[in-house]
Amino acid sequence: MKSFDLIIIGSGLAGLMAARTAVDRGARVLVVGRGLGGLTLFGNTIDVLGRLKGETDVAAGVENLARNCPGHPYARTGWEGIDRALQAFQTLFLPPDNFVGKRRENSLLPTGAGTMRPTFLFPITMAAGAEMIPAATLIVGFRGFKDFQADTVSLHLGCRGAVIPFPRYGLGGMTTSAVARMMEDSSFAERVGETIQQQMAGERFVGLPAVLGLRESASVMKALEAATGARVFEISLLPPSLPGMRIFERFREYLLERGAVFLLGKQAGEAIVKDGRCAGIVVPNAPLATEYYADRFILATGRFLGGGLLAKIDGIVEPLFHTPVVQPARRGEWFKGRFFDREAHPVHQAGIETDAALRPLSENGAVFLENLWVAGSILAHHQVIEEKSREGIDIATGFMAAERALSA
Amino acid sequence: MDLKTEAVIIGGGATGAGVARDLALRGIPSILVERGDFTSGASGRNQGLLHSGARYAVYDPDAARECISENRILRAIAPHCIEPTQGLFVSLPEDGFEYRADFIRACGNAGIETMPLSPREALALEPRLNPLVIGAVQVPDGSIDPFTLVVANIRDAESRGAVIFTHTEVVALVRGGSGMAGVVVRDLLSGEEFTIATAWVINAAGAWANTILALAGTSIPMSLSKGSMLITNTRLSERVLNRCRPPASGDIIVPNSTVSILGTTSLRVSEVESFDVRPEEAAFLVYELALMIPEIKGERFIRAYAGVRPLMQSGETDDDRSLSRGFSLIDHQKEDGISGLVTIAGGKLMTYRLMAEKTVDFICERMGMRVPCTTHSQRLPGAGIGHTLQDRLLHLRREIPAARQEVLCDCELVPRDEVEALLKEGKVRELRDILHRTRIAKGTCQGGFCVYRLLGMLNELNRNGERGDSNEILKDFLEERWKGIRPILWGTAMQEEELIETIYKGLFNLSGEGQGGAGIVNEEL
Repeated sequence: MKSFDLIIIGSGLAGLMAARTAVDRGARVLVVGRGLGGLTLFGNTIDVLGRLKGETDVAAGVENLARNCPGHPYARTGWEGIDRALQAFQTLFLPPDNFVGKRRENSLLPTGAGTMRPTFLFPITMAAGAEMIPAATLIVGFRGFKDFQADTVSLHLGCRGAVIPFPRYGLGGMTTSAVARMMEDSSFAERVGETIQQQMAGERFVGLPAVLGLRESASVMKALEAATGARVFEISLLPPSLPGMRIFERFREYLLERGAVFLLGKQAGEAIVKDGRCAGIVVPNAPLATEYYADRFILATGRFLGGGLLAKIDGIVEPLFHTPVVQPARRGEWFKGRFFDREAHPVHQAGIETDAALRPLSENGAVFLENLWVAGSILAHHQVIEEKSREGIDIATGFMAAERALSA
Repeated sequence: MDLKTEAVIIGGGATGAGVARDLALRGIPSILVERGDFTSGASGRNQGLLHSGARYAVYDPDAARECISENRILRAIAPHCIEPTQGLFVSLPEDGFEYRADFIRACGNAGIETMPLSPREALALEPRLNPLVIGAVQVPDGSIDPFTLVVANIRDAESRGAVIFTHTEVVALVRGGSGMAGVVVRDLLSGEEFTIATAWVINAAGAWANTILALAGTSIPMSLSKGSMLITNTRLSERVLNRCRPPASGDIIVPNSTVSILGTTSLRVSEVESFDVRPEEAAFLVYELALMIPEIKGERFIRAYAGVRPLMQSGETDDDRSLSRGFSLIDHQKEDGISGLVTIAGGKLMTYRLMAEKTVDFICERMGMRVPCTTHSQRLPGAGIGHTLQDRLLHLRREIPAARQEVLCDCELVPRDEVEALLKEGKVRELRDILHRTRIAKGTCQGGFCVYRLLGMLNELNRNGERGDSNEILKDFLEERWKGIRPILWGTAMQEEELIETIYKGLFNLSGEGQGGAGIVNEEL
């Protein structure tokens, strides 16, 4: 029988943050994750609250949101909880590969569609994007690398675009992670830099897709800056997200050093529940199934994409613990008639209702299981896509759920 | 620009395209005008079923005979548009055998060959069928690709001198004396208006027939019926599957290449453009058709769509002008005293060629010409080119030079070269034309990834030209895509929806409109 202090189900940013918080307090932690979470799909920057209503101060925006939407995850953590969690997050990322941002305000970064997008913290490799001047910027894409379209980005930003061949292979069809691996080879990065340099017409900024290496991306950026004489920045592109993979890798490295156990590529099949408590989980590992036991559990399995919520033709369920899921009354009400409606689609506010300590609630308002806490986007009453609050909610509630679970 | 021709055809659906080809084969010059692109109406919004006629045998033997006759003709002239799958009429315990007996007899009377199968035989042919099936009857149904069919008709007509204008709308009918003198049309993309002088106007506008007739101050009695359909992500059966019971909603599954199409519902509507599918309609089709194939409940769907069928109202149609119970050719000289104007309406995809034949026979007779129809014996261009996925893959291997193997659409394997070649032809005028002529955005992701890539490629090719806001085009595309996606959002499709929404609203921040989108760019830069 395998026993832990805390089992975290979900290996996205919320689960990782909970694990990190728990190992720092000396807990024996097991992380069970089906995949690498939303992080590796679109976790490029750390959003806290991109959509502000008149305020410029993000803390003030969070407090207003918490006041107006008392069920919102930020109403549980408050700005103070977010701030503490973000500080803990940032201690993992030391210079030169650190995160930067304004102290209390959002910065605007260019995107793969050539729009500008507000975010709170971002990797140093994206920093020059917040300062670029379109007339002095060249956007560079790679021939055959189709998930970043330099001419679409440059058209909308109002700067110049160029598409260059990959130095070594020339052929198209490269994937994000394959390009990133090649970029870590300094002679390859140097030749990319030289090719870019030949395309430049006095620009002072160069924007590239976010493929500057899986590790030590700051040094890849420096190499390109040396070759081009310009400030180089990464731009987020279609999934997968390399900046998200870097975050995942850093967490994993840290957690393994501190004795956490990972079960990746595994999905918790069912929960063992007795007397209002969760005793353990069963992880199918065909042809066997293994049981893992712990005193406390954190559910951080994400939404539909992560597998935390399951949309059936007649309703939404949480498939592991079968906690109640707050949701619109009928499937016909899940979505608005227009994709780009001014309001969020109602289904995105569906999720798990909790008490002030992030414990899920039964339909009658009582605590569902006394040793279960919930973190991340599976929580109800937020609109991560419209609010641009995904990473903030993950980090703050992951941090809070672990603190509450361990002090219970 | 002003033009002159013998006949103007209004409508680029199957009927209009068929008329253009028939006229061209008989040596009569014509110009076809289509408001959108080919098959924008019912011709492109149906199940792609090559009817054997069996579905009509019991209640409408004339329509059944027409169908089986056209079925055989289409197999001969358009083999590249057809997959000769065969069809089964499946009896479930609740259906009993009463209808089946009538059905087999009626098919025999209509000349449709049938082969009764035992439950074991049916399950051996189609293992996913409900194991409780009590019997099945095999008939010569199949599937047909309407777009390829229509384009083949158009290409043949063009090669014989017909002129085609797409994205061109008729804005006025010009009268001369008691007859037609011409039509005034407007190019909807450039805004240019011009006149086409002609003595004959053939109204083949389908569900929009009365919109055209309003320009002449008249109308025909027509009602509109909306049918909704769902596309699955995988092919559920080898054969077309029908319920062996009186025709009802949710009784057919048509395999089409790598997918299947579930149909259909039937709803009277008053608006021609009623293309939205309600989530309840989607659920109805799933539950109903799961009775034939239980696995449908767990199947992933990629899109829902609806078509509006124009139905001629019976009772108000005189017997002598009703060529069959399916379609009507209306001579507006007889009805309204307007010579040179005819409307060909009603009918179905299966009878498009016959409808064209009757229309052109009528015009030839009025012109005093005696040229026989040959559309039933002359093969359409493209016949002989394979259509299966295997053929496409082999083609892809042959066509893509190793040095430039860039595939724009990963779901359907569309190479960049194919799109560049299409652009060089110079016939596409907007994004939708490209999507219509390639497999881009037809696969599992429904354009969620490849349309961004396609627009990037267009921006790159046009770097030094005048470029519009491609993000607006992308947003319009996503909005259009949404109509087909929204009704089927559950299960895996819901997961992909979360991904797509996170990319375009979240990561790319295309929501704009004061929420930190385009507005912020202007303020800050």
